[in-house]
Amino acid sequence: MTDLRTTVRATPTGPVLEIAGDLDFHSAPGAREVLLGLAPGPGRLLVVDLTGLTFCDSTGITLLLAARNHAVGHQAHIALAGVPAQVARIFDITGLSRVFASYPTAEDAVDRWAARTES
Amino acid sequence: MVRAGGGDEPEGRGTAPEGDDAARFSAMLEDSAVDLYENAPCGYLSTLMDGQIAKVNTTLLSWLGYRREELVGRRRFTDLLTVGGRLYHETHFAPLLSMQGEIGGIALELKAADGTRMPVLVTSTVKTSDDGQPLLIRTTLFDARDRRAYETELLRARQEAEEARREADRARRTAEEAHRAVEAERQRLQRLATTLQRTLLPPSLTAPAGLEVAAHYHIASADEVGGDFYDLFPLAHGSWGLFLGDVCGKGAAAAAVTSLARYTLRAAAVYDPDPVAVLANLNTVLTHEYEGTDPRFCTVLFGVLTPDRGTAGFELALAAGGHPPAILLRADGSARHLPTPGGQLIGVIPDPHIATTTVRLDPGDTVLLYTDGLTEAHTTPLGRTGGDGRYGDAALLDFTAALAPTTAPAAIAALQGLLDTLGSGVDDDTALLALSVPHPVSEPKQ
Repeated sequence: MTDLRTTVRATPTGPVLEIAGDLDFHSAPGAREVLLGLAPGPGRLLVVDLTGLTFCDSTGITLLLAARNHAVGHQAHIALAGVPAQVARIFDITGLSRVFASYPTAEDAVDRWAARTES
Repeated sequence: MVRAGGGDEPEGRGTAPEGDDAARFSAMLEDSAVDLYENAPCGYLSTLMDGQIAKVNTTLLSWLGYRREELVGRRRFTDLLTVGGRLYHETHFAPLLSMQGEIGGIALELKAADGTRMPVLVTSTVKTSDDGQPLLIRTTLFDARDRRAYETELLRARQEAEEARREADRARRTAEEAHRAVEAERQRLQRLATTLQRTLLPPSLTAPAGLEVAAHYHIASADEVGGDFYDLFPLAHGSWGLFLGDVCGKGAAAAAVTSLARYTLRAAAVYDPDPVAVLANLNTVLTHEYEGTDPRFCTVLFGVLTPDRGTAGFELALAAGGHPPAILLRADGSARHLPTPGGQLIGVIPDPHIATTTVRLDPGDTVLLYTDGLTEAHTTPLGRTGGDGRYGDAALLDFTAALAPTTAPAAIAALQGLLDTLGSGVDDDTALLALSVPHPVSEPKQ
């Protein structure tokens, strides 16, 4: 079991929230606070980078859905990056892989979004 | 204390230096002997054997506020004492002094001319004649006001320490009472949680004719209501509805969703028993009720069991919304998942994909539905690494495969044993529901 760490950084297309460690019933409230403190502007992209995620249970999934609704509430968009295989399996079971746009890395997500908004 | 060599006058003695210095030194000492007696830093008192005052120094007179002529030949030592001091003198001081010839370090109180009291430490010796007859009593009195003040201070400090200890005791008792109150409240909440949990589950499952049914609900925490649920209930035309699911989160908010999900599923199944329609209905209700940054969703398997007339078997149509696949344990000892890939969580988006599968259950077949509290149980102690530390889908399939062929009650009993083995690693609630088609009584078991 590894403690949860969250870091936020700004990119030209919007904030990137990195969530690393175990995202579960015990750690989700802290991450949720960080998430709700983010204000992606209208038409911008919130990237949740899960590269360092080691575990994600239903509470974690709730947090990701809260992130999605939070972004939508700001007329912004959301994308996941670096979804680990174990978490991807849960996403497949729960059908979330069809709800979230997913990219190998946060940079990919930002580049694609930048290219899309330029065109 | 000055030791007198003869008579009542104290003498200065000592090893004096030689020569002029020695003479000067000696003279100074001789000169100061009387002064030393009169103005010594202690009181001197000489009395006759009956206590009558014969000689008293200036220091003592100034302490008491008497003139010399008021005391000498007129008063006894005991006249200078308080009533308590007089009693003590009579019962202890005087007898001990006459017995031992000396007594020291006795704390007494003097009464001054103006009535004020003064604590002193008293030492007395009896001066005897050459033939051993007692002549007089010499007494020195040391001012004990500082010492009394010190004792008073000690007493006050002790009283303060006592008070502090009592205060600490009171604080401890208050803390203990608060702890008991918290504990009582926790137990009240546990009872409430247990009661609430019971309302979310059927009191007992009635098995359809020709089926065996068993279920188990494992509560991970007595403090919080979990979000798992299941039910089995009759529908029209001899078919039965069943479901098993898991609402995200714990506590009262999750329990409210669990309750809503359970009643919605039953009502929707009566209205239109098609499994996909039932889950779509639940999805509409949940997405409507819970939006924003507090999303509430569930994973659920919903099934309809239809008896196959003419055989002992059943057809099970299953629809899945984001739930782990059921496990089918065949009469021939094989085991496999009943995959329902792509079924999305119920309550997240307006039009979720719901996956379906249909399977035929024949005599000796058992189907098992479970929630992820079991598969996500911690298997490695905290702090250890290796794998993802969770029990996992593959391990559960292996475990149940070893049971096949089995029956619903046997499978549930074995899984209860597994939950016990995993112990505190099971940190989320777990619901288990198993159905099996028994072999006809007349037909010998293979």
